[in-house]
Amino acid sequence: MPKISVTIDDKKLDVDVGKTILEVCKENGIEILTMCHLKGLTDVGACRLCLVEIEGVNKLLSACTTKIAANMIIRTKTEKIKRYQRITSELFFAERNHVCSVCVANGKCDLQKLGYKTEMNHIRYPYLFPECNVDTSHPWYVLDHNRCIMCTRCVRACGEVEGAHNWNVMNRGYQVRIISDFDTPWGESVTCTSCGKCVHACPTGAIWPKAIVQGQLEKKPEIIGELVEKRKMNL
Amino acid sequence: MDSSTKRQILISPVTRIEGHAKITLQLDENGNVDGAFFHVNEFRGFEKFCEGRMYTEMPIITPRICGICPISHSIASVKACEMIQGITPTHTGNQLRRLIQLGQALSSHALSFFHLSSPDFLLGYDSDPSKRNILGLADKYPDIALRGIRLRKFGQEISERVTGKKIHIAGIAPGGMAFPLTEHNRKALLAWIHEATETVQIGIGIIKKFHEENEAMVKSFATSPTLYMGTVGPDGEMELYDGKLRFVDVDGTILQDQLDPARYLEFIAERSVSWSYLKYPYYKPYGFDKGFYRVGPLARLNIASKMKTPKAQKEFEIFKAIGNGKPVHGTFYFHYARLIEALGCVEEAERILHDHEITSENIQAHGRWNYAEGIGCTEAPRGTLFHHYKTDDTGKLINVNLLIATGQNNPSMNRSVLEVAKQYVKGNDIQEGMLNRVESTIRCYDPCLSCSTHAVGAMPMVVEVKDADGNIVKRIERN
Repeated sequence: MPKISVTIDDKKLDVDVGKTILEVCKENGIEILTMCHLKGLTDVGACRLCLVEIEGVNKLLSACTTKIAANMIIRTKTEKIKRYQRITSELFFAERNHVCSVCVANGKCDLQKLGYKTEMNHIRYPYLFPECNVDTSHPWYVLDHNRCIMCTRCVRACGEVEGAHNWNVMNRGYQVRIISDFDTPWGESVTCTSCGKCVHACPTGAIWPKAIVQGQLEKKPEIIGELVEKRKMNL
Repeated sequence: MDSSTKRQILISPVTRIEGHAKITLQLDENGNVDGAFFHVNEFRGFEKFCEGRMYTEMPIITPRICGICPISHSIASVKACEMIQGITPTHTGNQLRRLIQLGQALSSHALSFFHLSSPDFLLGYDSDPSKRNILGLADKYPDIALRGIRLRKFGQEISERVTGKKIHIAGIAPGGMAFPLTEHNRKALLAWIHEATETVQIGIGIIKKFHEENEAMVKSFATSPTLYMGTVGPDGEMELYDGKLRFVDVDGTILQDQLDPARYLEFIAERSVSWSYLKYPYYKPYGFDKGFYRVGPLARLNIASKMKTPKAQKEFEIFKAIGNGKPVHGTFYFHYARLIEALGCVEEAERILHDHEITSENIQAHGRWNYAEGIGCTEAPRGTLFHHYKTDDTGKLINVNLLIATGQNNPSMNRSVLEVAKQYVKGNDIQEGMLNRVESTIRCYDPCLSCSTHAVGAMPMVVEVKDADGNIVKRIERN
């Protein structure tokens, strides 16, 4: 595969053509915050956490959806990026009803970890406190919209890996919601195979198994990427 | 009575209790106490906002009601969940829960006695209010204060070593527990037993000495007879974690025994009053006027036939002798009862830590939603606690009823305040020490009004005597 030269955080690298900035960074041990990215799924650039500065480009671009190009000079940890990441993190918490202390994912939650990583010690934006439904209709799993951050990892895992397309997105802006089929209770879905991939893909306590309580949640999001890799090998 | 000569005394806030409350005393035209109202003026709303949640989340949500007895809420809640699932916890899971329940009772009783109440006994009711607290105690009796603090620490360490967290525990799950106890932690907890036993015995010594020196006051302090309710084991032994309910009347006659807690609504009714957010529960067969009953340490000892451990049994026999085998009604004896329980807790904790299955990994039975209704009951440090859930057919809560220990003591607390006020408050001549006695009546019950806040030291207190038109005729301030 042809190689190109790029500079990331003052480090000169020879990298393969066709990869995203995020892929290149991961391969070279450069940490970038992500939330909607999950190995094995199509990247959509929804969470805006993996923003990078590229010399000559007057706006921040998401590393997960931007292809690397020759002679790019990229910075991943500027003060501006850190500031934006913290703002994004605060907005996640302000948008719905995240109460870590009573959440089933407490201690195992990517959103909680993000708060620590971005050094979020308070939230400057008014909480919206939207009224959100808790869908308990599925026999094994719960969907709690209070804890959903609209990363859409469940939507993509269901559509791209399981092929069931049970999950989808409804509405826009702060009224946006994950829906099952045509907004029917999850337990009444005609497409859901109850495979549980969405449970593993969900980075927060929004989708969780009914059988467990706080302290027992074990999500394995990496199985999504592993499944995709195994299928490629079989082919 | 001529309403224009009526007076009111307001004590607000009531200090050194867990939560926020105030007391109003109504005086007649001669300056004698005519009525007493214990107001709980905070509102939480847990029963309402838990609706719509999955029932299995309740053992984690409801402990947030309180920072003193969160484990009792967790346990009552998880029992309700088990009734919904129709499962029984494993032996080890049950024993671990019992252990943390004992740890919490110990921690709470240490807080109530050493931190909040012992300053009255050791420094005196009429001592300087700014020093009549745990810090003043540490100044004058550093060894006792330190021991009290360490006893509380032991109780919390039990939680930490069993569940990983000191206060709001994790890992309590329908069917048992989520994490096993390690051998290292078992041994670390056993190392505390000797010191904890000694400290409780020192506490018992303090209260007994106070009883001796203040016999007249102790025997006459809010002694109105009431019914009692609590949990007992199959042989009538005092039980803090799991058992059946027993009611006794004012003479100690057993009214109901080995009652399944799931039938609580057949025997307990509640009524709202206009002056407080705390409801008035009562023993249904006797009606609202005659059905006042008490729960908590005094009630548990009054209803029990025996204790489960030898040292506590010995003290229990001394306690029973006070009432000549009949219930001890004196509110002041709450403190003694609390310490006898604490002694039993340390002994039982030691026994559990020697259970050869306590470090087993067979800690949880598994189930799923099977029934729409669940009722869980346990003995919180302050008395019997009920959680009652109704769900839809997916496990979502549609109704939550929590019957809290302090609520059940509410009618009696009100009456005790009236009695003590009648004894110590005479007209406009209000002394600070006298107000403390009225407050300490409440403190005997160790009420947990919300809770997670408890004042250390003398909170600013304003007492106003008002006439019927609201004019202040006398005002004293404490700071």
